[in-house]
Amino acid sequence: MSENEKLLVVKDLVTTFATPGGPLPAVGGVSFDLDQNETLGIVGESGSGKTVLSRTIMGLQPRTNVTVSGSALLNGFEVVGASERAKRQIWGTDVAMVFQDPMTSLNPVMRIGKQIDESLRVRHGMSRSSAKHRAIELLELVGIPSPQQRYSAYPGQLSGGMRQRVVIAIALAGSPKLLMADEPTTGLDVTIQAQILNLLDELKERLKMSVILVTHDLGVVATRTSRIIVMYAGRIVEMGTTRDVFQDHRMPYTRALLESSPKVASPSHTRLVTIPGRPPNLLKLAAGCSFAPRCAYATDRCRQERPELQPAGDPGHLFACWNPLPTTRGATPQ
Amino acid sequence: MNELLEEVSLVERPEKNKPLGILFWVCVGWVALNVFGAIFANVLPLQNPLFENFSAVNAGPGLHHLFGTDDLGRDIFSRVVYGSRVSIAVGVGAMLIGFGIGAPLGMLAAYRRGRFDMVLTTVMYILLAFPAIIATIAVLSFWAPRGLAKIILVIGLASVPLVYRVIRTATMSIATKDYIIAAKVQGATDRRILVKELLPNVTPIGVSFLLIGVATVITLEGALAFLGLSVNPPTPSWGNMINEARTVMAQNPWLVIFPSLALCLFLLCLNFIGDRLRSHFDVTEVKL
Amino acid sequence: MTQERQPLLKVRDLNVVFGSRHHAVSAVAGVSFDIFPGETLGLVGESGCGKSTTGKALMRIVEPSSGTIELEGVDIASQSGRALRNIRTHMQMIFQDPISSLNPRRRVKDIVAEPLDCWKSVKGTERDVLISDLLNKVGIDPAVYGNRYARQFSGGQCQRISIARSLAMRPKLLICDEMVSALDVSVQAQILNLLEDLKHEYGLTLLFIAHDLAVVKNVSDRVAVMYLGKICEIGPGDSLYEAPAHPYTKFLLGAALEADPDSPMHSQVLEGEPPSPLNPPSGCRFRTRCPNATELCASEEPQPREIAPGHQVACHFPLTITRK
Repeated sequence: MSENEKLLVVKDLVTTFATPGGPLPAVGGVSFDLDQNETLGIVGESGSGKTVLSRTIMGLQPRTNVTVSGSALLNGFEVVGASERAKRQIWGTDVAMVFQDPMTSLNPVMRIGKQIDESLRVRHGMSRSSAKHRAIELLELVGIPSPQQRYSAYPGQLSGGMRQRVVIAIALAGSPKLLMADEPTTGLDVTIQAQILNLLDELKERLKMSVILVTHDLGVVATRTSRIIVMYAGRIVEMGTTRDVFQDHRMPYTRALLESSPKVASPSHTRLVTIPGRPPNLLKLAAGCSFAPRCAYATDRCRQERPELQPAGDPGHLFACWNPLPTTRGATPQ
Repeated sequence: MNELLEEVSLVERPEKNKPLGILFWVCVGWVALNVFGAIFANVLPLQNPLFENFSAVNAGPGLHHLFGTDDLGRDIFSRVVYGSRVSIAVGVGAMLIGFGIGAPLGMLAAYRRGRFDMVLTTVMYILLAFPAIIATIAVLSFWAPRGLAKIILVIGLASVPLVYRVIRTATMSIATKDYIIAAKVQGATDRRILVKELLPNVTPIGVSFLLIGVATVITLEGALAFLGLSVNPPTPSWGNMINEARTVMAQNPWLVIFPSLALCLFLLCLNFIGDRLRSHFDVTEVKL
Repeated sequence: MTQERQPLLKVRDLNVVFGSRHHAVSAVAGVSFDIFPGETLGLVGESGCGKSTTGKALMRIVEPSSGTIELEGVDIASQSGRALRNIRTHMQMIFQDPISSLNPRRRVKDIVAEPLDCWKSVKGTERDVLISDLLNKVGIDPAVYGNRYARQFSGGQCQRISIARSLAMRPKLLICDEMVSALDVSVQAQILNLLEDLKHEYGLTLLFIAHDLAVVKNVSDRVAVMYLGKICEIGPGDSLYEAPAHPYTKFLLGAALEADPDSPMHSQVLEGEPPSPLNPPSGCRFRTRCPNATELCASEEPQPREIAPGHQVACHFPLTITRK
């Protein structure tokens, strides 16, 4: 019963690229779900598979050299194995995407109003005048000042932050139930970053949609998500409520990730905690835990046997580790 | 695909490029064979390409004459091999002139920029606007007597603006890279930057364009021969063989088929090699 | 106390103007600061504020339109030719894009040796030993990786190689332009720690340019905040972050994303975007977005003034300071 209420249910999703060096498991068996009107953060460094995962869920993987198995049920629609034609039905209406670089996701030689109109008229069969009316409404919704004038502007005439707002407006054209935002603020200035994240938050509440924030920056997800997934080498290594992940993390990688970023609050010249080495080569993944070669707590078992996700104390809090960090909740009596 | 794999490919950048493939080496072999034939034509056991054997006129391909003979009884096989001399000499010679002048100027202009670049590029673009083939035809029709050296020189000079443009564009995309600025900051002289930093990165683009340029010039030589503006008969070239055979095509199709085939295969191979090399050396391309 | 020391780098009224007379953009508009030997000055600001241009102007990668840049009393801005090449070796720069900073077709050893080869200062085995030593210092095994091509390395490794190259001539001043912003968090931490270690070992003085406030604070002794081509606040890192005196600094700090679920949710977000440098506002350049702006801010440009030892702010109405 509860499965039906979930907007997105992902089960054992595997995305493998065929490369000259052999099969490359960019996503190696990922399961999670997403509630209606929830904001989920997917965090990982480059090579963690977070982008490939988000694209696979949208059905945006390339047609050749890639195999996808498992299941991704989006609002009742099975994305894995669906035809291009069938997926076109859900793109825009069930799920829409905001990409990292607003300059490349907008057509530079087309007026921004036309770019919003396009999808409204083609996809939703709106008339020219009502599409324009709606487009201006959308521009207003995403906080673009004087939308009437901006309607006929070219992307090059707008600043990075304004362009990202336009991209969001286009994504919202079909009133999607899920907004997939892949590094939506990377490359934007701090003050603009905060504006865009606040906007996404506000829109989520107003339009009752769900948002998946894919990012490498823990700061982006810290205050705006209800749950967080931490990925490493194509797999989920820890998942739980934002509070659990930030304050009661059990997986050493999560802690290392948190501690290695400098904090504004800590004094100058604070020695940073580093993770030795670098992310593993996905073509040569070892049998055990992928993080074992870089982990301070690794034992022989870690190197031989891969840990599966196991429940921590709190509901929904899972981690994959043989030698988890002690919980910080243990000290306080239940 | 590239965008999607970017994240994955960052994990480990490949140490070795993708192999060039069998077809590439077949093409290289064919080009090498042609060049070998052209260089050693008079040492090889070939019949005299100019000997007119009136007892075997318009013979079809056979044991004695591999490709048959033409309307004057000359051996077509031997003429095709000797003909490659002119075609390859014109192609390679003209491109060497074109690159000898165009490439250094293009690199210098792209690196120096400023007024030097502006003046030079304007001149080159004016030259480009003037159709090279018409210029070539005009010069060759008035500059008698025609000879191989003159043809090479004229085509070579006509290709300078084209080479200049390609090399300048290629250099410009490299000249703005941080490692060029870094070299400058470390105290490298301009000459050192041109030779050590820019040249190795421009060379692959240059080489692949050179091969395609050779192919283009060979076609141009064919077209000139067709207009009777290439080397004077009876010296064979692929172009003038096809040109001469035009009139007797109906009686003896071999006369057209063999030189055309030689020309086509050679051009195809050059283009293929050039194209493969370009993508092979393109370090920015995702290799997965 | 800092006044007694002689600054290593003394920048006065630096201006950089791009474009022609009619479309002149003043990317850097009258910037003055000192960097003292052994310290790290952080230069922070949003894109387009001129922080990178300032760094490049110091290296004469872009030409300053006016102003003086004195390195140990020698004016860099007026040098040219060989003298300029010579003085540049005392200053080195590390760039943002680790991959494009290294020539993909050269071997790591040659890249690191390039400055030495340019000047032919060290040759033969002495050179090879020095290169191996430098590579070891930055955590790249010269025996394994020395002969590889730069294109075979990841971003973090490329940045290590860049650092090794910049240290080859034993520079006095190292300018780091967004050197960690393209790297993953875990790699970023490695590079920042490495930089800190090498700074002590080589006695370096750093100008650290970045947009990330947390990163800048971590490495810097003093921090300068730039907005639209001008420095609006400069002071010791800890006190500037704790009690910003310029309204812009305060907003910038408020907008920084902290990896902490309990941090406040940006209730005070700076509205709008920076005005175009083509047509900067009169008076104080921040006044169009400043909640405290008055007519005075529009008519008169605020000059930097000292509000605490070593802490200067260019604002008519600096935020009240609660210290002491």
